[in-house]
Amino acid sequence: MRTLYLALKYLAILLWSSFVVFPFLWALSTSFKTANGVTSGATYLPWVDYEPSLLGWESLFGGAGGINIFGPYLNSVIVTVSASVVSLVLGTLAAYGLSRFRFRAGFVKNGDITFFFISQRILPPIVLAMPFFLMLQTLGLLDTLPGLVIVYIALLLPIAVWVMVDFFNNVPRELDEMAWLDGCNPIQTFLRVILPNSLPGLVVAGMFCLIFGWNDFFFAFTLTFTNTQLLPVAIVSLNSSVTPWWALSAACLVSVAPLLLLAFLAERFLSRGNLAGAVR
Amino acid sequence: MAEIHLEQLAHSYAPDAPERVYALQPLDLTWQDGETYALLGPSGCGKTTMLNIISGLIRPSEGRVLFDGRDVTGEDTRRRNIAQVFQVPVIYRSMTVAQNLAFPLVCRGLPRARIRQRVGEIAELLGLSTFLKRPARELTADQKQLISLGRGLVREDVSAILLDEPLTVIDPQMKFELRKKLKQINEAAGVTMVLVTHDQNEAMTFARTVIVMNHGRIVQSGEPQELFECPATEYVGTFIGSPAMNFLATVPREGRREVPDLGLGLSVPKGEDARSGTWTLGFRPEHVFAEGDGWPLRGRIRRIWFEGVEQVLEVEAGETVFRAKLDHARVRTGESVELRIAPERLALYRDGQRVGAGYD
Ligand SMILES: Nc1ncnc2c1ncn2[C@@H]1O[C@H](COP(=O)(O)OP(=O)(O)O)[C@@H](O)[C@H]1O
Ligand SMILES: [Mg+2]
Repeated sequence: MRTLYLALKYLAILLWSSFVVFPFLWALSTSFKTANGVTSGATYLPWVDYEPSLLGWESLFGGAGGINIFGPYLNSVIVTVSASVVSLVLGTLAAYGLSRFRFRAGFVKNGDITFFFISQRILPPIVLAMPFFLMLQTLGLLDTLPGLVIVYIALLLPIAVWVMVDFFNNVPRELDEMAWLDGCNPIQTFLRVILPNSLPGLVVAGMFCLIFGWNDFFFAFTLTFTNTQLLPVAIVSLNSSVTPWWALSAACLVSVAPLLLLAFLAERFLSRGNLAGAVR
Repeated sequence: MAEIHLEQLAHSYAPDAPERVYALQPLDLTWQDGETYALLGPSGCGKTTMLNIISGLIRPSEGRVLFDGRDVTGEDTRRRNIAQVFQVPVIYRSMTVAQNLAFPLVCRGLPRARIRQRVGEIAELLGLSTFLKRPARELTADQKQLISLGRGLVREDVSAILLDEPLTVIDPQMKFELRKKLKQINEAAGVTMVLVTHDQNEAMTFARTVIVMNHGRIVQSGEPQELFECPATEYVGTFIGSPAMNFLATVPREGRREVPDLGLGLSVPKGEDARSGTWTLGFRPEHVFAEGDGWPLRGRIRRIWFEGVEQVLEVEAGETVFRAKLDHARVRTGESVELRIAPERLALYRDGQRVGAGYD
């Protein structure tokens, strides 16, 4: 009975993981193909099914008809990381305030303010494109890194606030009260007691910010021209009249690699029992 | 250290509601400096609310809190210098045991060496010395509660230490030890201690003054002996003591109230009408004895059980059932017995309130 259960469990896990892993393997295999390898039906194994070539990878590093991926890569890292850090810091502060202090301005209360933050993400992005474009243009920040960072903060802040409000609401108030009794003022309470206990929430919020920031194509595309290119835009620019599947596959792997690494690290961190409750 | 005075204090968690529901009914109360108190009462009677008002975690909806005559009602918790231990252990998960214990002192900027010394002393007292370097989150629930307790005890200059049922999660042997240690600390440092509990034994053994609460009201406060001997209400008599106090139904007879089945009764005090209201005759099972001078209690033994080395007899006489606690009576279930009670041990309760006792 138990063996059967285990067998079924592992079968399910195996099926699911192949479902998840297969696209990556497929992309990996495709990245070493050439036009011939791609169009001559499904082939899987290099040297056996098809002759591997480095054409796809070369086109990422200044090869013929390709791009130099370093510049956009660095841009993406700078924009995503700085916007995420700023959003996380501001968002965490805002979230702690919203979770612990009561605000009131007429009929506007804590819940409404929280919803106001989240509502930024409910708008379809296209609605925001024009205002953002005009604002950046007026400020002379179109097609610059600072401009993109500002826009990304506007996009990521709601996520950070949302995740952290939910997190803080689940941190028992007794922890704050204990800190007051021990002699902390509100800022010390936050910095010395609540924040060190909030690492899991910060990790999750940070993950979300990095993923959403890294993956954005729409604003990276509409708010830049040629000077400041982010990775997703650079990858799309690889495309031409003949779709270079090998180059796109290689680019896709390169662009998804840091997220995979991040997810892996976060998973290790969270599974170390850091997610357990703060009291008891 | 301070004398704490609650003046015309009342609290409602929903003060704006049309029908005000009080978690704490209006009351006046003084906590003497350096005393030990036990706050006794069932769940939901307002004990935690009272402590939270003293420590400033809750602003009372009415009345004032005075420390040595100084009004602190609007003052923040951290300025009141109160130590409080909650019912559930609260620990700082990101810190070690030593850092947890040191935190209240670190926050107040004590010198390093002094902090180390105090933490050592408290850890020794609570048996946490071997765990000092361990992350606090790795300890068991009762050890965590000891840490909570330790953080409450580590400061020497606190106005009062409020203990909100801190011993619930701790096993009975350890509980006993801890109560003893708390008393030692109280005697050594002369710091006011308030122990909230719903365990009457804990209350009676720990405190010089026991305060019994029910439904947000203080029902009676006094020394343990006084509460035991002269419960002000039927509620206190039932709540304190095991088995509970006997309260027997009575009928009026010529200005007296009598238990017809026992032929036992007392005159009602002057000015009271023996015919109106519900009157009961109360006496402690412990005050019943087997032989000697006293009024007789005759009946048939329904049941016998032991509490410690003592025997509890459940005796029935007609419609009336009462309990007696005796050292060792050589009796068996079903037998008829004649027990005795000293008349001054009897008291009359009218509508649940003590109105007179013995011969008066
Ligand atoms: N935060 C709160 N909001 C509303 N009602 C509360 C709150 N805390 C306690 N109460 C109510 O106040 C009463 C007293 O509660 P409490 O002081 O916690 O009692 P105890 O500590 O004696 O068990 C209870 O009826 C409880 O339901
Ligand atoms: Mg309570």
